[in-house]
Amino acid sequence: MTEALARVPFWWLAIPVFWGSVALFALEVVRHLRVMGAVRPAAPFRDVPRRLGAVLRYAILQTRLFRDTRAGLMHYAIFAAFVLLSTGVASAGTGGLVEAIVAWPFGGAIWAFLLLARNVAAIAALAGLVYAMARRLVTRPARLTLSRSVVAILFLIGAIVAAELGALTFEAALYGPLPGAVITNAAGSLLVRSDRGLLLLLFGVTWWVHIACVCTFLIWLPLTKHFHVASSFFNVYLRKLEPRGALPAMDLEAEDATFGLKTLADLSWKDVLDGLSCTECGLCQDACPAYATGKPLNPKALIVGIRELTTEAELGLHLVPGPSIGHARVAEDDSPRPVVSGLPLVDHAISFDAVWDCVTCGACVEACPLLIEHVDKIVGIRRNLVLEESRFPAEITTAFRAMENQQNPWGQPASARLDWTRGLPFEVPVVRDLAKAGRLDEIEVLYWVGCAAAFDERNKRVARAFATCLHVAGVKFAVLGEEEACTGDPARRMGNEYVFQMLATRNIETFEKYGPPPIVTACPHCFNTLANEYPQFGGRYDVRHHTSYLASLLASGRLATRDPNAAEAGQAEARRVTLHDSCYLTRYNEIVDAPRDVLRSVGSIELAEMSAHGKQTHCCGAGGGRMWMEETRGTRINAARTHQVLATGAPTLATSCPFCMTMLRDGLADAGAGDKVSTLDVAEILAPVAISGRTAGSKSGELPVTRAER
Amino acid sequence: MRIVVLAKPVPDAGQERLRNDFRMDREATTEVINGNDEYALEAALKLVEASPDGGEVVLLAMAPDHAQETLRKGLALGAASAVLVTDPALEGSCALTTAHVLAAALRELSFDLVIAGVDTSDGGGGVVAAGVAALLGLPYLSYAARIEPSDGRVRVRRITPNGYEVLEAPMPALISATQALGAPRYPTLKGIMGARRKEIVIRTLADLDLAGARARGVEVGGAAATARVTGSRPRAPRGTPKVVQGSPAEAAQEVVTFLAERRLI
Repeated sequence: MTEALARVPFWWLAIPVFWGSVALFALEVVRHLRVMGAVRPAAPFRDVPRRLGAVLRYAILQTRLFRDTRAGLMHYAIFAAFVLLSTGVASAGTGGLVEAIVAWPFGGAIWAFLLLARNVAAIAALAGLVYAMARRLVTRPARLTLSRSVVAILFLIGAIVAAELGALTFEAALYGPLPGAVITNAAGSLLVRSDRGLLLLLFGVTWWVHIACVCTFLIWLPLTKHFHVASSFFNVYLRKLEPRGALPAMDLEAEDATFGLKTLADLSWKDVLDGLSCTECGLCQDACPAYATGKPLNPKALIVGIRELTTEAELGLHLVPGPSIGHARVAEDDSPRPVVSGLPLVDHAISFDAVWDCVTCGACVEACPLLIEHVDKIVGIRRNLVLEESRFPAEITTAFRAMENQQNPWGQPASARLDWTRGLPFEVPVVRDLAKAGRLDEIEVLYWVGCAAAFDERNKRVARAFATCLHVAGVKFAVLGEEEACTGDPARRMGNEYVFQMLATRNIETFEKYGPPPIVTACPHCFNTLANEYPQFGGRYDVRHHTSYLASLLASGRLATRDPNAAEAGQAEARRVTLHDSCYLTRYNEIVDAPRDVLRSVGSIELAEMSAHGKQTHCCGAGGGRMWMEETRGTRINAARTHQVLATGAPTLATSCPFCMTMLRDGLADAGAGDKVSTLDVAEILAPVAISGRTAGSKSGELPVTRAER
Repeated sequence: MRIVVLAKPVPDAGQERLRNDFRMDREATTEVINGNDEYALEAALKLVEASPDGGEVVLLAMAPDHAQETLRKGLALGAASAVLVTDPALEGSCALTTAHVLAAALRELSFDLVIAGVDTSDGGGGVVAAGVAALLGLPYLSYAARIEPSDGRVRVRRITPNGYEVLEAPMPALISATQALGAPRYPTLKGIMGARRKEIVIRTLADLDLAGARARGVEVGGAAATARVTGSRPRAPRGTPKVVQGSPAEAAQEVVTFLAERRLI
């Protein structure tokens, strides 16, 4: 017991009250853990240094919250107050033990500093709380949910902070200034002449209000979104470290397994922790293009829905684990297992339509301050609907069958895969022919054309432009031609893991036959699946996106551009170009600079960025297999993006993905701007001015980097 | 309710390639169950599912031995088993032979209904189902858009160019199915995995009683085919498409003018 504590009436009562609350908190957490133990296992543990780094960056420094500076400061003030004030509570709850230890070295300087910090943080937190309350009651951004419990909790935190300031102030007025607590000391000095009895009463009341509110908060915490105070560190630590573009592997041969996610029981415990950690901040909702265009999907509602199912599973669980007598909801042994498997996700955590609205663009995952993974769960639910129930939008049956029977979602015969090469002034070698001639070693890079560039008329021109760039640079490349099959990306993202694995296995067999050279593709979806998902099946290859490959050809001097002044003679102004970033390049694979580097190498181009660019890009609407579905709900996603394209006023739109090309060309045509804005792939902008680096006289002969850019 | 579905393994439509002798190059194509037969299978599965005393669907096909793989796709959709009549001597058979062989195979099976697609995407004759019905003396209910069995009888809504007719016949009967019956389901993973273990009964010509056919002077097999393909030419490529642009109203006007000029409206 310290001197300060002894001044508090009934101070000793704080010990049982505090530890009692801690015990209740712990039992509630144990109940969460029991539900987590009843669902599927997960093992997100490897690579401790990266995990600790993530905790520092996302949980302690809270970098993602500072994307909105004011909200970031507000949250940080409350966070700091929470951490600092808990030292005082911990001290009270231990009969002054904490203070005794902390105040021991350096003549109490550390404790004095803590008191100063508590003072400052408390004032900042009060300001933060006013701002937080004003946002919910006055400005009301759509992403924030207003509920009674949210307001009550904000008031509770306010009471905790105010009562702390009050108690310290009255303590200073009664017993003189406390070292370090300059703000409350100053306030206290104003009150020294007040009635001592009243001051004593107010001191006792505020001190006890502080303790009581903290204990109430502690007990309430695990049942609300404020549980993130405790769980966020763990949630961030246990984050997905696999490439974000790699959907979870799946064993299709497991006989009695539930395929995909059907009920709460099929989620992993990390998914349940995601639900328990969600702060309902709505940043995912704000980022979601499906939600923004009026569709039923709301990524926040899915995660909150998972928490609600978890809470429902806990309804039948006693706080103190033990045998349950006469309880209908749980089994004899009080296990949550039967309950969790009785809580379906579709129609409870998420509607059937919303499951299919997702474009898997990953904007929600990129936005979440706590690194919650929304997309993997949505695809998991699709897997269950497709593989077990055969329930999906009717129009994708055609794409499924085409991928299964013709190995491409367009349903075109493999014999047409080389049609795009017609009319090229040079020959495009086919790997099989080179292999027959024993010239496999000559191939520097395997150009993976992809189905879109092979079968879609507009994208065939992109293939021709890219092949031209390779030819001009003197790169010895080859294509698979008839042996190429869809990578399976659309099938996998539409939940059809069976067709995906069929295609992946087939392609890997083809690759293994040739011991493939590095692979380059102009499709970010092919790129992502080849680079990030084929390793799940033993297919590990050097894979590059064509923008990175072209950028490295330019950087190494193998490819150069014609003197822009000569080329653009008579054209005074630079051509304005806006670049649409593909989700699967930027967010999933962090390729942001490469397409810009290529554009910059083309002289006389002025890049007019849209506000949503780089990792904050806005989806074109075709990801996640949406390319093959009708967009019947809400407004169109490509129309929303087209609006942003037109806002730049640039007459040229550069793309780096065949789907984006199709969607945005359609969007521009629908907006009546098809003539005003021309959509060109980055390779198509480069090709007309590309010349061999050797002719340009720059350094030559150097191979471009051939390791996958990771 | 026991239903036999005549399910013909065919090359996937659009991928067909003919060899020099005008026979299908089966190496170059993916084989699937004939599209219309899949509609027949879907109708059969729905009837069995709706039947109070259950039952099962059996697939019947006459095809080369490797068609077993294709039949598994039908088993994955829910058929209980399959019968495959396969014999090298059957290669190149005509529609008449096929009808005789299928009829002979059906004589060994018990069923309430036989359902087949109205025609196949490879041969396109559209006569095998009728031939089988005639050979077995079964009522033949064609162009079905709806099938309603009750009390040993079956009622079929038959599509006609002007509307529909309602036909009724005692069971067993043979029905030819149109796509108006409803699109085939997509197989579940459990269905696909389960199909691996389902039985495909193999029958050769020696196993079948074709005395009836021989009595009529019909010999089976390619050599005895009553009709054969003697020429083939791909369709002339389509003309250049005309792209209509402009506002919806302008575009509509242009389309109307285009059609009116050609007296198509």
